[in-house]
Amino acid sequence: MKTFIVANRVLKQLKGDKRLLILSIVAPLIIIYFLKLLFDAFPPNVPITNFTIPIGALVVHFLSFLLCAILLVQERTKGTLERMLIGGYKRSSIIGGYTLGYLGLATIQAAVVLIESVWLFDLDYSYNVLILLFFVIWLLAVVSVMLGIFISTFARHEGHVFPFIPLLILPSIFLSGLLINTDELPQWAAFVGKCLPLHYAVNIIHEIIKPVFLISETYFDFAMLGAYVFLLWLCASLSLKETE
Amino acid sequence: MNHAIEIKDLTKKYGQILALKSITLNVPVGTIYGLIGPNGAGKTTLIKALVGAVKPSSGHLNVLGMNPINDKWALRQKIGYMPQSAALYEDLSAKQNILFFGKAQKIENLNQKTDEVLQFVELTDRANDLVRNFSGGMKKRVSLCCALIHSPEILFLDEPTAAIDPHLKLQSWNLFRKLANSGVTLFISTHLMDEAMHCDKVTILMNGEIIAVDTPQKIIESGKTVLTIKDNGVITTRTIASTPEGLANELLKLGLRASITEISATPDTIENIVLNIIKKNQIH
Ligand SMILES: Nc1ncnc2c1ncn2[C@@H]1O[C@H](COP(=O)(O)OP(=O)(O)OP(=O)(O)O)[C@@H](O)[C@H]1O
Ligand SMILES: [Mg+2]
Repeated sequence: MKTFIVANRVLKQLKGDKRLLILSIVAPLIIIYFLKLLFDAFPPNVPITNFTIPIGALVVHFLSFLLCAILLVQERTKGTLERMLIGGYKRSSIIGGYTLGYLGLATIQAAVVLIESVWLFDLDYSYNVLILLFFVIWLLAVVSVMLGIFISTFARHEGHVFPFIPLLILPSIFLSGLLINTDELPQWAAFVGKCLPLHYAVNIIHEIIKPVFLISETYFDFAMLGAYVFLLWLCASLSLKETE
Repeated sequence: MNHAIEIKDLTKKYGQILALKSITLNVPVGTIYGLIGPNGAGKTTLIKALVGAVKPSSGHLNVLGMNPINDKWALRQKIGYMPQSAALYEDLSAKQNILFFGKAQKIENLNQKTDEVLQFVELTDRANDLVRNFSGGMKKRVSLCCALIHSPEILFLDEPTAAIDPHLKLQSWNLFRKLANSGVTLFISTHLMDEAMHCDKVTILMNGEIIAVDTPQKIIESGKTVLTIKDNGVITTRTIASTPEGLANELLKLGLRASITEISATPDTIENIVLNIIKKNQIH
């Protein structure tokens, strides 16, 4: 019950900060548009469709992580986190509430990215595929929110979040299978790639955009994303300290 | 046991820093208890230990018969905490902030209660404005509302009057007195020495140690009064004890004569006395 109260507050807060809200929805739109300009300059034999949705997923993944981490760090520095805890909110309600609240935003982002990509790149996917794609991006966003909560517990101020940005985004671009198949990388790099949640999302996306796809091929990757959600939720709950 | 708070031998270490050294004190129910000390004295640490946000390194704590760490859920329903920083959501209105913190507890007629506390701090007409646009003093008052909303039995206020103008400060202390009269125990920290006057009892904290515990009257009496006397047009001054007996004794010695045309007594301000106590402890 209190989870919903926290979620409701997070949403109200996001609504109150119009600039942030608009930026976090417009930013992915602009990035996808730049992607379109870039891909238009590519030679025609490059399989663009293999990149578009995965990059969209990366944008949502990254933005949800960043927003959630920074807003939660702000709660810590402003003292509202402490106040929530002493005021009677439990850790589980706070984490649950944050996840629900940010998922509201992530849902909008996922939809916006998907709609724009399909429209700009003239993608011809069936409804089934579109729904699955949406679900993958959305599930990856859940992972991001959890990751944001988890990382925020190590940060004393907003600045501490920034080193995690290249740490998350660069390996995700180069090693997760977005650009190059992970199995073609050196062993250690492939291992790092397989530790990244984006790897599993990209696997699923690549499978379901095949002309004929086997849903059973995606089970393992879906399970891995689910495992990430659970694991990060556990880490976030354990690392969110109530006392100094 | 009529103590709302009992602290015995409380020590808190942050790594090498000893923030609290063997603190022992009791706070009777329904009093305004002042915690006075300069920056870094350990006021915030002590309050956080009492509300269960800081884990003591050693010692015993008892708040309303409960342990702040072990009985936290039961205790949190009965205490109100106003942190040193405003600790509000800037993108929400005053009312939304109070409602949010109020919803953590089971409160009947929360909406009506919110209006009441807002009226109590005279912010009714700004209730729906974003906290972002509030002045520092107004934020403090909203913050107080958030601590008050569930009608706690003890209120922990960490520097509630810092950065508040003199008029509003007096109003705040009147407000605290009203709460105390209704049976609420208030534990208030401040670095403004003159605010000791408004408390029933004060503890002076320095470098994590208690250097004095007394009523404000007793503290004032420990100071000196300067007596200025105009006798036959000649002005003389003498320093006497700040007790009522001290003044009576001095007047008796003088003997009232027609030639004495003016007598004025200027007692040490409590601010000076407290500063002197602190200075004396710095030398040792
Ligand atoms: N989280 C922390 N980690 C390390 N040291 C801390 C921490 N919090 C407080 N301290 C130290 O404990 C001591 C007491 O700090 P505290 O905040 O309790 O003082 P204070 O009396 O509230 O001061 P102020 O009037 O400035 O608010 C200081 O020396 C401070 O550096
Ligand atoms: Mg303090």
